[in-house]
Amino acid sequence: MTSASREKKERGWFKEEFGNPERRMAYYMVLPAVLIIVVIAFFPVLYGVVLSFTDSTVTAFGSFVGLENYVEMFQDPDFLVGLSNTVIFTVVSVTLEFIFGLGIALAVNRAFRGRGLVRAAILVPWAFPTVISAVMWRLMFQPGIGIFQYVAQSIGIISGPVLSDPTLLLIAAILIDVWKTTPFMALLLLAGLQVIPGEVYEAARVDGANVYQRFFRITLPLLKGAILVAVLFRTLDAYRIYDLFYAFGAKELQSLSTYVYEGVRISQLQFGPGNAAAVFIFVTAFLIALFFIKVLGMRTSTEE
Amino acid sequence: MASATAAGKGTGRRSLNMVLFYVFVAIFVFVSVFPLLWVFKMSIVTKTELFATPPTILPQDLSGDSWSTVLGDSTFQRALINSSIISGVTTVICLFFGSIAAYAIARMRFRFKGTVMTLILAISFFPGVAIIAPLFIQFTAVGIIDTYAAVIITDTVFALPLTIWLLVAFFRELPVDLEDAAKVDGATTIQAFRKVIVPLAAPGVFTTAILTFIFAWNEFLFANTFLFDESTQPVTVVIPNFATIYTVDYGSQAAASVVVTVPLVILVLIFQRRIVSGLTAGAVKG
Amino acid sequence: MIERREQKLGMPTGRGYSRRDFLKVGGAGLAGAALLGTAGCGGGGAGSGKLIFSMSSPVPTFDALLNKFSKQNKGEIEATLREMPANSSTHYDKLTTEFQAGGGDIDVIGGDVIWAIQFAAQGYIQDLSDDFPESEQEKFLPGPISAMIYEDAIYGIPWFTDAGLIYYRKDLLEKAGFSGPPETWDELKEMALKTAKDTGTKNGFVFQGMNYEGGVCNGCEFIWTHGGEVLSEVTGGEVVIDSSEAVAGLETYASMVADGVAPEAVANYDETTSEPVFGAGDAVFLRDWPGYYGLLGIPTKDGGYPNLKPEQVGIAPIPVAEPGMQSYSALGGWNQFVNAATDSQEEAVTFAKFMIATEQEKSLALDGGLRPTRKALYEDPDLQEASPVIELAKEIIFSNAKSRPVNEYYGDISLELAEQFNNVLTGDTSPQEAAETLQQSLSDIMEQAD
Repeated sequence: MTSASREKKERGWFKEEFGNPERRMAYYMVLPAVLIIVVIAFFPVLYGVVLSFTDSTVTAFGSFVGLENYVEMFQDPDFLVGLSNTVIFTVVSVTLEFIFGLGIALAVNRAFRGRGLVRAAILVPWAFPTVISAVMWRLMFQPGIGIFQYVAQSIGIISGPVLSDPTLLLIAAILIDVWKTTPFMALLLLAGLQVIPGEVYEAARVDGANVYQRFFRITLPLLKGAILVAVLFRTLDAYRIYDLFYAFGAKELQSLSTYVYEGVRISQLQFGPGNAAAVFIFVTAFLIALFFIKVLGMRTSTEE
Repeated sequence: MASATAAGKGTGRRSLNMVLFYVFVAIFVFVSVFPLLWVFKMSIVTKTELFATPPTILPQDLSGDSWSTVLGDSTFQRALINSSIISGVTTVICLFFGSIAAYAIARMRFRFKGTVMTLILAISFFPGVAIIAPLFIQFTAVGIIDTYAAVIITDTVFALPLTIWLLVAFFRELPVDLEDAAKVDGATTIQAFRKVIVPLAAPGVFTTAILTFIFAWNEFLFANTFLFDESTQPVTVVIPNFATIYTVDYGSQAAASVVVTVPLVILVLIFQRRIVSGLTAGAVKG
Repeated sequence: MIERREQKLGMPTGRGYSRRDFLKVGGAGLAGAALLGTAGCGGGGAGSGKLIFSMSSPVPTFDALLNKFSKQNKGEIEATLREMPANSSTHYDKLTTEFQAGGGDIDVIGGDVIWAIQFAAQGYIQDLSDDFPESEQEKFLPGPISAMIYEDAIYGIPWFTDAGLIYYRKDLLEKAGFSGPPETWDELKEMALKTAKDTGTKNGFVFQGMNYEGGVCNGCEFIWTHGGEVLSEVTGGEVVIDSSEAVAGLETYASMVADGVAPEAVANYDETTSEPVFGAGDAVFLRDWPGYYGLLGIPTKDGGYPNLKPEQVGIAPIPVAEPGMQSYSALGGWNQFVNAATDSQEEAVTFAKFMIATEQEKSLALDGGLRPTRKALYEDPDLQEASPVIELAKEIIFSNAKSRPVNEYYGDISLELAEQFNNVLTGDTSPQEAAETLQQSLSDIMEQAD
């Protein structure tokens, strides 16, 4: 696009956008999805943001208090623990899920005997109902009756109940989440791999490229789009982790979202900081996404 | 695919690679499946053995009680139907609106693409637990509380971002002149779409379909809050109720979990075949 | 090149979508029609002669009672049961969501005893003082009644009740040479250790020490039986948890694990994980609720412990610090509340009164195994025969049941107590530190209460 045509665009952009039938069609196509999201989510998100600046309680709408809730939140040790747990959890689990997911996707992408069954088996963790998952895992780590607690203790890597130690709990939660969500990553990456035409590899082999070169020069770049989407969404999900920490850790494991939940649903006095934390999650998640888009070069449109 | 045929050649080194490969695969399969096997074991042993210290590896006292409780429970049966309806409709709606929007974003020209994409993504920034109360108020005002609609709409809203972003990524990978090339070969526009674009995008479409279905199937928070009675509640809400005020029937919950997981996996197995066959339609030739 | 693409895409985009997508449209349309048709009719009920009663984990008796009520009031009121989640916190959550949204359509609420004051303070439930005067209140157990009172008005009617108590293995104690249950905590520790050793039992004492509401019950019992208090009045007054008595209570609590009387695992136990330990014969003592007694000797299919017979087990009050001191048990139980937003005020009260009538409470006790809240029923010979725990636990339920320090901010109070009590058990915090921390945090909360 030359600067001349760009100027022309800016001057008459409204007509250009909505006067052009093709453009209008594009907007129509995008409209339903955007509309659903905005209509449903707009009010609740706005509600939460407004509440975070007031001293409201669950029942009564309060008065404007500026940044008081945020200050209280940042000084609350529970919040800080939740923040650190969440960040560690997100970074470690997403990294592991990516590595294992990519490995599985590459493995399953080849043709080998039993591939169909392997693909089905790999998906089991993701299909397992989340609401029971945390409860079952808690039983598996329960001192005395839990198989994992028993094995780990027998091997000697831990000495006390996992469920009582915040660090061990976090590690266990990370492992459980990696178990559960690697299939998600693997599935996305597999789909990405399947779109790469076989001819590209053939051509490269003919040119004399070895396995590593093929992987790093062909596979990874062509997979970049799928990788970035997968990693971005996993990061956002991990950042908002709630069910796993709450049900598995039974209040011993704090995350940003459990902090929000306690503030907004259980406690009466932490309602303000709870909402502030929700907004905090919102803003920081936005920054994370921005990072992915701008810095990691995730493209949002076809316009180069 | 190329590397697979290469590995088929039988030098000693290649055989070692194959063995390592199978070991690697076997480990992953075992790790993935073991907890389900353990939960299955929980569902077929007596309560006494369930709480045995130390835990037994192989089941010893078998009991069919958990399974008979679960399979005979009409609430659970109804819940399976509810889950299927909610997940199915969510997936269809999501795919429909999602793929239309993704296609427009990926292949058509208009301004504000970045804004639109970010707006769609924005719902993924907000923790579900924080907006549950205002959502409830909204839906009560509109009168759809205690209907499938409330949960389907919410699930769609939360599944759309991934659907759209993923499909955009896939549609964008398709060569720019694909439609043109097909038409040069004599296809009409519609044929071009059906025979060229759709099969190539199939992996992405089916993958999002699977992921959306499973997401809606496992969703708990919204279903629990918006649905009041058994006629609409899905399995995620019903399973924890295999409990009384005083005890929790872990055995039945374990059995129910197995009942709920295995069909999902089979469903996915069926769909995954379609991903592969979509590719071998031989769409891209030169 | 670009222009040609635009031209080509101009027209067909609208109609050029593949056939598969048309199927999707059709599918979505059909689905839309289907869900409109199958959507459960929500929001009926109140004001139209239909009464909605909400309760979790209904026993079959509930349905029978509701049918009986509907028959008795045929033509005028019909009562339906709305089942709530079995998990207490999920249940509470669901109720508060509906209340926040303007009340919801539940008319009568079956609620936990610790919810009464929280709901009352936020205006969610009705003041029932006119319909439930003191002359009536006297017929009920004092413990539950006191938990329903907020600002001199009564907000709920006790329906069935619970109180913490000690289960002990009569047979094992005998073998170890003890003639009866312990009266003091020191006695319990001594008996537990010796009996476990002599009889080869894995654990001396198990209880619910996890970081949750049950943990608050357990910890409070230790504090109260040492003469300490959390608040100076049941639901108000000053925070007095840093008294030496309360600290002594916490020290005994911590010593259970530290001295090996209870396994480390108790810090992760709730009812569902501590009961099987005792049920498998792996503990000499168990602290639990009266409902557990009904599970002894019955098949696992019904949730019971067939290998442990009632004859082997005895019930005793919670031990105390020094002989002669008053024993206390945490009060539990469920009650009838009327939604402040109900359209059917009169009918709701009629229903609530029906459910707590002597006849109904007796049915619940006989068929459902629940503990009545009417004092007179404890003398009823039918009940005594059918449910031995009624006789055994009568004294405890009548005299020892004490309400947790519930006030309108109990949500916050409970979070603090649960956490510190758990820290004391795991050894993360010393009892003295825990008491001081609680003194501070609870005082902060109480300040807001004014």
